[in-house]
Amino acid sequence: MSANLSDAVVELPPSRPHDPIAAPSRSASAIEQAGSEEACPLALRGVAKRWRRDLPLVLDGLDLTLQPRSKTWIGGRNGVGKTTLLRIAAGLIDTEAGRVEVWGVSARENRARYQQLVSFLPAGDRGLYARLTVRRQLDFSARLALLERSHRRRAIEQALDEFDLRELADHRVDRMSMGQRQRLRLAMTFLPEPEIVLLDEPLTSLDGEGAAILERSIERLIARDGALLWCSPSGEHLEMSFDRRWRIERGRLEPA
Amino acid sequence: MSRALTAWSAFAMIMRRDLHVYLSYRTRLVSQVLTAIFSLTLFYYVSRLVRLSEFRSPAGYFSFVVIGIALVSVMYSCFLVPELVRQELVAGTFDRLLLSPFGAVRSVVAMTLFPLVLSFALAAITIGLGCAIFGMRLHWSTVPVAIPVMALALLAFLPLGLLFAALAIVVKQGAVGTSWVIAAMALTSGVYFPLAVLPQWMQTIGGLQPFTPATSVLRHLLVDSPIGGSVSSALLKLVGFAVVLLPASIALLSAAIRVGQRRGTIIEY
Repeated sequence: MSANLSDAVVELPPSRPHDPIAAPSRSASAIEQAGSEEACPLALRGVAKRWRRDLPLVLDGLDLTLQPRSKTWIGGRNGVGKTTLLRIAAGLIDTEAGRVEVWGVSARENRARYQQLVSFLPAGDRGLYARLTVRRQLDFSARLALLERSHRRRAIEQALDEFDLRELADHRVDRMSMGQRQRLRLAMTFLPEPEIVLLDEPLTSLDGEGAAILERSIERLIARDGALLWCSPSGEHLEMSFDRRWRIERGRLEPA
Repeated sequence: MSRALTAWSAFAMIMRRDLHVYLSYRTRLVSQVLTAIFSLTLFYYVSRLVRLSEFRSPAGYFSFVVIGIALVSVMYSCFLVPELVRQELVAGTFDRLLLSPFGAVRSVVAMTLFPLVLSFALAAITIGLGCAIFGMRLHWSTVPVAIPVMALALLAFLPLGLLFAALAIVVKQGAVGTSWVIAAMALTSGVYFPLAVLPQWMQTIGGLQPFTPATSVLRHLLVDSPIGGSVSSALLKLVGFAVVLLPASIALLSAAIRVGQRRGTIIEY
């Protein structure tokens, strides 16, 4: 049985105190901009995607809605469409049908605003400049995120501390271990303090300490009213509690 | 105002990133300077053999060709951009540019600038070495005027890099036909020899690209070479190339990215 939109709406967890370090929530202003109180952090409605005309649909009218302060896990076999779903939600590729919005903003209509609200960690170890230092890499991310100067400096220092990268700040990426690189990729994902974080197999190469760092970052995201979407083939080994668990089957979501 | 400042900060950061990566290869500058010295030496001795009515002496041809080879390095730098874009696609960093609020189009425009600025700096070094080692004479009174002309030439050349970057995004290859295009442009822009020795149809083709007016006006300003036509008409041509091609190339780059996103090929490399 595939999940429809109302099935996929998660119940709000009890509100939690805000992290004093975190930036003030942007949700209110985002709702104001969207001009709709029904807007929610992430809404995928009737999303369809196929890679070639002669191939079946990878996603077939998929619906998914995330609410503030929610953690959602999506699993499924290899090649079932998890990464495609994340890429669509991130604004990287277009759908053939359906609509994707973050707080009522679609990537097609206002790409810059959409990308300010969403941050995506792709699977694997790509997306880093091998010959730049950790600090420069973070600075690069912060500037591309169009953070204000004062906020940028604070965000970089905070990321160095939160992801245990302070000692590696002046190390070049090509001289770091895979786990350290993954911590940097995560730091770059969380650095602009987005509303929505999309993670594709984020535990890759992380040791126990790295996984704990990731968990704390997710808690901070939730504390500032953000929402998380985590995709990985299997969720059995995940110790983190999710508000909803889904599995992609035949292009749609089914409860896992 | 602050939005413009943050956008400028991102733009400048991409140039700084390229500078840091360039400087991280410590032997690269030395290698480029040595290449320039070898080219200068080669053409110094070739110039001894040149007997053309256009040049009063071998030194006249040497000055002529040094400006030409300096601008060829600028030409090469334009066609470096598609390879840089391909590297970003392979490394997965293009996704980061695309998914940033700054955006992929502005990022690629920024990526075009460092190689161009560097190539102009290397061109200046080449000319300086020509003077220091081989006794080439510059027309110092008009050298300062050449600087804004170089900036204008940069704006006229930049669209070529953007057009080939758009092509690289579509075909996922950095060097599709670029060696042919560079050879054709070098041949028809009068880099190595005066345009007058070419057949009329090749001279006509030469007039359709920005390197021809840039080469002739910079030669005129730097070594007092005679210019076919007037300086103002050459400058107008450069302005025309920049005004027409810059928005067109940005629109094509934007379209290439949009098509890649629609088809899903933007993630391929």
